[in-house]
Amino acid sequence: MIYQQLINGLMLGASYSLVAIGYTLIFGVLNLLYFAHGEIFMVGAFVGLFLVVFAGLNIYGALLGAMVACAALGVISVFVAIRPVPKDRPLAPLISTIGLTIVLQNLAVYFIGGQQLAFPETIRQTLYHVGPITVSSTQLFILGVAVSLMLLLWVFIEHSKMGRAIRAVAENHETAALLGVDVNKVVIVTFIIGSGIAGVAGVLDGLKNSSISPFMGLGAAVKGLIVMLLGGLGNVPGAMVAGLMLGMIEILSAAYIGTTERDLFSFLILILILLFRPTGLFGTRTVEQR
Amino acid sequence: MFDGLIDGYTQSILIFTGISVIAAYSFFAPFKTGQVSLGQAGFMAVGAYCSAVLTQKFDVPFAASLPVAGLFAGVVGVVLGFPALRIKGIYLLLLTLGFGEIISVIALSWDYVGGAQGYRNIPFNPRTLDYVVGIIVVLILFFRRLERSSLGRAMDSIHQDETAAEVMGIDVVRMKLFAFGLGAMIAGIAGALYAHQATFMDSTTFNIMLAVEILTFVVVGGGSTYWGPLAGAVVLSLLPEFLRTLREWLELLPVGMTNFFPADRIYDFLHGFLDFENAKRLIVYGLILMLMMIVRPDGLLTRDSLRRFSFRKARHA
Repeated sequence: MIYQQLINGLMLGASYSLVAIGYTLIFGVLNLLYFAHGEIFMVGAFVGLFLVVFAGLNIYGALLGAMVACAALGVISVFVAIRPVPKDRPLAPLISTIGLTIVLQNLAVYFIGGQQLAFPETIRQTLYHVGPITVSSTQLFILGVAVSLMLLLWVFIEHSKMGRAIRAVAENHETAALLGVDVNKVVIVTFIIGSGIAGVAGVLDGLKNSSISPFMGLGAAVKGLIVMLLGGLGNVPGAMVAGLMLGMIEILSAAYIGTTERDLFSFLILILILLFRPTGLFGTRTVEQR
Repeated sequence: MFDGLIDGYTQSILIFTGISVIAAYSFFAPFKTGQVSLGQAGFMAVGAYCSAVLTQKFDVPFAASLPVAGLFAGVVGVVLGFPALRIKGIYLLLLTLGFGEIISVIALSWDYVGGAQGYRNIPFNPRTLDYVVGIIVVLILFFRRLERSSLGRAMDSIHQDETAAEVMGIDVVRMKLFAFGLGAMIAGIAGALYAHQATFMDSTTFNIMLAVEILTFVVVGGGSTYWGPLAGAVVLSLLPEFLRTLREWLELLPVGMTNFFPADRIYDFLHGFLDFENAKRLIVYGLILMLMMIVRPDGLLTRDSLRRFSFRKARHA
């Protein structure tokens, strides 16, 4: 029983991790709470759905399409909601991304309607029994995609030239610019990566819950924020581990304490972390303002 | 006070706009010391549930339960304010967001206040509009007085530079705690007014989007002057009504008379788009928020823009 719950927790946590990675990357380079990230996740889920239903693509095509569409949307959001807004007012970019959140969510409601849509089953269901645990092929697929994406990203951040530039900008904007890093380019690349991953997370979430709705973004955004904080602001590996942890904690508290208390736990963790370990579980830097 | 002057529909719009104004001032109070709170919806919930329980289960009259609800929310605010003192910026934003969510989980799981079914049959208060107008007047007078007092200047200095303020001998801890508690109290009052107007609420009534909306009221209106929250809340709350009126005006235009092609097309597009539908209205709302931050990132009203119209300056000049 407990192993089964742990597997479920891992599944839930993997999608939290993917959303939080984008948050933490964007927070790292821009020092900005990018409110619209949850809606990018939602758009990804819908792009995936349409590619499967109307274009007849398989799940890989849907994942790739959602990734590309969301990366493009992320870049557009930089140009409409972040670039034109003055940087010296801490609240202005927050409000403009809130505006973008409202626009994206209601565009989805306008074109699709406020109801839930069923996500098609594109993977043939097989159940694997390993000892006391039962895993479905969908679950394995989701976990596999999420984990390999995270590993790829980790290698990219730690070992590529662009990854080093991203880390440098996250450490200090001015110094990085002085040392010849093209900060604008880094911001764009960060949004491409973060939003692309959020798009994949959206499709995976649709696969997992087999339904999606225009309102799925807000919940994902809030959970992503908690995970970002747990892992330490701007800390990518931290967000990966913290997401898996939060997923397990939620599933375990839902299974053994009660489903309504599940959210209570994640928010209690949020508050405790803020009060006692604002640097996150893995002790990265704190951010002074914003 | 306003009986017979306005119809029920207008009255309810005025009441909810007024409650938005009060909520905006509740955000403005801690914001004056630089604290950005996403917990104001949570404090509204505390006040709303407190007042609803008092009037419905203990037969307390609304006139008495309203201040009690405000004070109770204020106390909760001070209790949350203590830990909130240690952190600022994005951490405070997340802390208050977490507080608001915890309040809504409690409202969802506590059957005494309705639980998942929501809180029904809250006694209706027929004189809410009088209360709302009275409270807004008091708030404006209060913040007007505050802006010119040493207390208000101390708060502004904390907003601008906390360390410098502390060095100048300002008791930063007490100021911030006072501002946070005051904001929570005002929010509690707004929530209580809401509860007895709507007569129904559940765990989603005071959600994150409401907290975000309250924040946008102040930022759009202008956070540097006490007229800002009023302007922001009124403009943003009445925007949908304005869009609706705009469509009625469009119908009066003699567009069919002209043969100018784009005018017809633009007319048709606008007419279709302003068709009063929630999603479209919210898309326009979001676009206006984004545009606003590009064009006037300090908000509609700033101290400078107000000074330009002020008679006082003219007298000194």
